[in-house]
Amino acid sequence: MSGMLYGGDEIGALVFDPGHHSLRVGYAQEDTPKAEIPAVVGVAPDDTPKIEPETKPDESNVSSTAPAWKYYIDTTFLHTPRPSMDLHSYMKDGMIENWDLFEKIVDYSYDKIIQSESQYHPVLFSECPWNLRHKREKLTEIMFEKYKVPAFFLVKNAALAAFANGRATALVIDSGATHTSAVPVLDGYVITNAVVKSPLGGDYLILKAREMLEHMGIDLTPAALIASKEVVRDKDKPKYMKKKLSFQPTNSWMAYMIKKTVQDFQQNVIQVSESPFDERIAAGFPTIQHEFPTGYRQDFGPERFKLAEVLFDHAMLGAGHIAATSAGMCDVDIRPALYSSVVLTGGNSLVQGFSDRLSRDLSSRTPGSLRLKMIAANGTVERRFGSWVGGSILASIGTFQQMWMSMQEYQEAGKAQIDRKCP
Amino acid sequence: MADVRDIMELEHPASQEVTRESIIGSDKQRKRPPTTTKTQKRPEGMHREVFALLYNDNKDVSPLFPSDTGHGYKQTKIKLGMRKPRKWKWVPFTNPARTDGAVFHHWRRPSDEPKEYPFAKFNKKVDICTYTDAEYQQHLRVDGWTKDETDHMMQLAQRFDLRFILMADRYDTEKFPKRSVEDIKDRYYKICGIMSKLRGEKKIYTYDVDHEKRRKEQLKKLYDRTQEQIEEEQFLLLELKKIEARKKERERKTQDLQKLISQADSQSETPRKTDKKLPKKKIANPSRPSRVDTAHILQAVETAGIKFPDYKNSGVSLRSQRMKLPANVGQKKSKGIEQMLQEIGLELNPIPTEEICQNFNELRSDMVLLMEIKSALSTCEFELQSLRHQYEALNPGKTLTIPPQLISNLDLENKAGTGEIIDVVGSPSTPTS
Repeated sequence: MSGMLYGGDEIGALVFDPGHHSLRVGYAQEDTPKAEIPAVVGVAPDDTPKIEPETKPDESNVSSTAPAWKYYIDTTFLHTPRPSMDLHSYMKDGMIENWDLFEKIVDYSYDKIIQSESQYHPVLFSECPWNLRHKREKLTEIMFEKYKVPAFFLVKNAALAAFANGRATALVIDSGATHTSAVPVLDGYVITNAVVKSPLGGDYLILKAREMLEHMGIDLTPAALIASKEVVRDKDKPKYMKKKLSFQPTNSWMAYMIKKTVQDFQQNVIQVSESPFDERIAAGFPTIQHEFPTGYRQDFGPERFKLAEVLFDHAMLGAGHIAATSAGMCDVDIRPALYSSVVLTGGNSLVQGFSDRLSRDLSSRTPGSLRLKMIAANGTVERRFGSWVGGSILASIGTFQQMWMSMQEYQEAGKAQIDRKCP
Repeated sequence: MADVRDIMELEHPASQEVTRESIIGSDKQRKRPPTTTKTQKRPEGMHREVFALLYNDNKDVSPLFPSDTGHGYKQTKIKLGMRKPRKWKWVPFTNPARTDGAVFHHWRRPSDEPKEYPFAKFNKKVDICTYTDAEYQQHLRVDGWTKDETDHMMQLAQRFDLRFILMADRYDTEKFPKRSVEDIKDRYYKICGIMSKLRGEKKIYTYDVDHEKRRKEQLKKLYDRTQEQIEEEQFLLLELKKIEARKKERERKTQDLQKLISQADSQSETPRKTDKKLPKKKIANPSRPSRVDTAHILQAVETAGIKFPDYKNSGVSLRSQRMKLPANVGQKKSKGIEQMLQEIGLELNPIPTEEICQNFNELRSDMVLLMEIKSALSTCEFELQSLRHQYEALNPGKTLTIPPQLISNLDLENKAGTGEIIDVVGSPSTPTS
């Protein structure tokens, strides 16, 4: 009970934070997740004799044409080209869509990451604020029935992100892979009717960057296919040798790998300008050189800013706009509280200059008599895993231990009570 | 005592000398110095510079009093393995705040008493009023609210601990019509009011829906102002401040003027003055210029000008001291005097012969009076103009013709100089009193 002083009481709970980009898994009370697993699963027909340790036979899918499937999970296995391995995402619109693949990922997490039996650890899951009732119930059912967890809890990720930043009331702006959302949180509860989201996220930025790079005629062959390369001068044609493969990688795998390549480019080069994009101002900034996996090198100047502008220049969907809209939908009495703690989270918010631009956009939309305060964690870990960290904090607080929906409760009242237990 | 003995050149009795030791009487004090000399050897590994900070070459102790009583580096070793560490155990516990008696595990020292879960005491619940079916049918039935909906609302109140904003957010809009925060609050507090009345409680909370709605409407309007509107408001507020400042300034000037006049009036205690005052007050018609005779003016001059103190001190003094302006003459006035002297081409500090001294002082006194009168005149002029504007505003179409005696005063005064002051003094009283 040494934690009494700080109000913590650790009970060995696990925290799962599923997202479009990755699933974060780890023990509560730790400051970073144990693992970040990409939210895609490689599926290939199991006709090779070699046995991968991470594969599991799929019992539910016996009706399909191939008798058995092999599943490839986690970066190391995904980034290797394999014959007819298709990549599938189990997420859709922020919610879990493909439960079979999702179970594979959870299996993998228990097996390889946690390395412990699921029945010993209470589990806290995060969910998107617009999660549907039947999906919540399904998840509850799976966790209790399949994994026999002793206790389960479901929290909206925006509320967790607010907790991670030390706030119970906040306007959470979560810019993730597939969308950017503005979610008002009041006393730890999400105001569901005032959630505003836009489909402008990291993936959209990558898509635009890819379009531009392809338009410029830059070879985007991923590193996984390159055997060797030579040093060439700026803008010279790259000289590299491709790996000799006896098969053609699937389209979905290629798309995923190119996305990763462009993501590298995006993280290295792209920056959001502080004010709406202006060619002349952008030209004044120093250029940044980027080397692609093929060895091709080029300096990027104003393009850096022009690309990032897609996240902000939409009249209705820019991050500042959705935040103001969301706050405007809330009761007038809580608006000052929301504006005074705007929490920025999500991996896409790490694009250089994102927070500066957002605070600028938002302050121009803030009513004059209100005080605007943006809270953006400085560290990349805190920003990318904001909701996981919040979950880690929440699940290890002494007063939270009464909130869990326990196995007993599940057996008595069934999955339908999740809506009442976890608002 | 020793000092006295010294002065008296008495022999010192050796035994009675008062020393620190004899008062405190401690032997420990004597033993201290040798210990400090012992520690002056530089400990191994300590840098010379650091050591020099502690002990300099003269073997003197540092000017700082050493605060640690230990022996420096000798005993800083941590005593490891001296005590058995206390054990921690992964033990099951139940939480009394839970209704299901679920068992979780956490780390605890076996030595700690297995008492009640310490966090259970934070499990606080809001008291929410309840009602039975019969009570509902008898007292709580309202048009627009069914029993089902009321029950749903009460459930939400329980779940969200009366956070009405969240209750409105999670309201089941499929089964029931959409309700605003105010509607829900109104219904809840009405039920509470009725129930507590039934139970004979004295304190009954009431909720004013209309007032709340109005308040929120106002608040919304306040927040929805555009930048231009906010700027306009600030501009208007600034203007208002300016206007008020100007008004205050004017009032202050009028007051000064009145004080001046009343002072002048009260100073002249001749009978002529008193009956002079009466007709003056009665003169409401400004067409007849009021006249003040010279005797009164002379007295006014004495009072309103500078009062130079009489030098009656005994002893020698410089005559130029008499020309010094007294301390009660303000900065503004002395500046004005200076300026006027420069205008008429006089020295600021003339040679103080007896005659010059007197005349110079008189001159300056007159100057101050002139200044005061001038400012009084301009105030009057301003008053007159503003009254005229007021009159014209109140009676549109009519114009107030101001008698020429009043208007031309300023010009007259400017042309004529000091000789014509007599006319001026009378006029201020007319518009103000």
